[in-house]
Amino acid sequence: MSFTEVLRKTWRDNILFSVLVELTYRCNLDCFFCYNDLGLRGEPLSTEQYLRFFEDLADLQVLNLTLSGGEPLAHPDFLKLGARARELGFVVRVKSNGHALRGEMARRVRDEVDPFLIEVSLHGATAATHDLQTRVPGSFERLLANLREVLDLGMRVKINSTLTRWNEDEAEGMLDLAASLGLPIQIDPEVTPKDDGDREPLSIAPSREGVRRLFDLQMARAVSVARGADDGTLPAPVEKHCGAGSAGVAVDPFGNVYPCVQWRRAVGNLHRQSIGEIWTGSAGLQEVRGLTAEAKLRVDAFGPSGGFLNFCPGSAAVRTGDPLNVYPEAVLRMEETEKAVRKKGLLPILP
Amino acid sequence: MIPLREDSVLRPAPDVRFRIVDGEAVVVRQKSSEVLVMSEVAARILALADGIRPIGAWLDLLADEFEVDRASLERDVLRFAAELAGEGILEIAG
Repeated sequence: MSFTEVLRKTWRDNILFSVLVELTYRCNLDCFFCYNDLGLRGEPLSTEQYLRFFEDLADLQVLNLTLSGGEPLAHPDFLKLGARARELGFVVRVKSNGHALRGEMARRVRDEVDPFLIEVSLHGATAATHDLQTRVPGSFERLLANLREVLDLGMRVKINSTLTRWNEDEAEGMLDLAASLGLPIQIDPEVTPKDDGDREPLSIAPSREGVRRLFDLQMARAVSVARGADDGTLPAPVEKHCGAGSAGVAVDPFGNVYPCVQWRRAVGNLHRQSIGEIWTGSAGLQEVRGLTAEAKLRVDAFGPSGGFLNFCPGSAAVRTGDPLNVYPEAVLRMEETEKAVRKKGLLPILP
Repeated sequence: MIPLREDSVLRPAPDVRFRIVDGEAVVVRQKSSEVLVMSEVAARILALADGIRPIGAWLDLLADEFEVDRASLERDVLRFAAELAGEGILEIAG
């Protein structure tokens, strides 16, 4: 069996394979468009609960575990949790702003957590633009210094970026910066509302021209124009649009379980049930699995262009209230991707 | 090929992560970013290679599990474990 067939099986047969855990919403930056719902309240999961949860995930044969936030390194027991995740045999990814990845902390992350990949966020090619987004002066220079340190330690790093009105004129600079560091970069052209539905981040959504220029640049450099899943996997060709709730879930700091980091429709809570109970018994998850099948039909209705939509039911839900509603930003993306493809006579390269 | 005996103790190499999905082993080699999908037999051997039990103990278990003669298992298991060790997926513990 190939790996693609394994992924297809996880989607089709509802085999939990990838989990993203938001350990905390604490963060040392203050990004303007951060999607976290900072008003969410509840009892945070304790370190002991996380350790039991990780053991349950290992028993369920979950392979990919992404530690995210907020800033995951801001969790007081990040290293303990990361080390246990390593011990339990997960492929660990860490999504960090990179601000604390330096000195002893960076070395301990490498030696104790041994992540497969660290994903850091870059918001511009200049200090002025990056720091405008993070609202922490000096964060750009510090990120670059930390990236060099982390690379010297031999860790694998990927840069994630979101195209905004503020940085769209620096897209080429961001690609150059990543290339100068020898790092892959994924620039997502969609700004999303916050998880609580607040649409303020959309005020800095990129212009259509900015998206077009980005795609042209990406096509010229053979860089991905598609959004990768949090576990780094490609879409599996089955009767579902995505693996949300079928092969993956996300968990917030208060134990709420969601089908995906972008689909904030709680399907259970780890304070009340184990992940195994939620995975097999949640009516909400059953519904989500049905919706991903319906979403595939909606996307397929666009014909071959549908693949360029990068449609996300979670994003649709927060933007329109309906996870099956193909929102304008997805259509814009499809149209501009097609133009870029036609111009170059090439197919976009998937991550 | 790495010579193994019944008293050899093996464990996954430090950069190897694996899970059993529907009877098959999905193996990730972190250093090379390589993903391998391996057979049910490999999955069973990976699960047994805990760095504590010697291969002889695997043979006892497998002979019971599959109701086959232990002696006939021995050659195949030793060969397969040696192949996995030769590929750098398993390593000698201690």
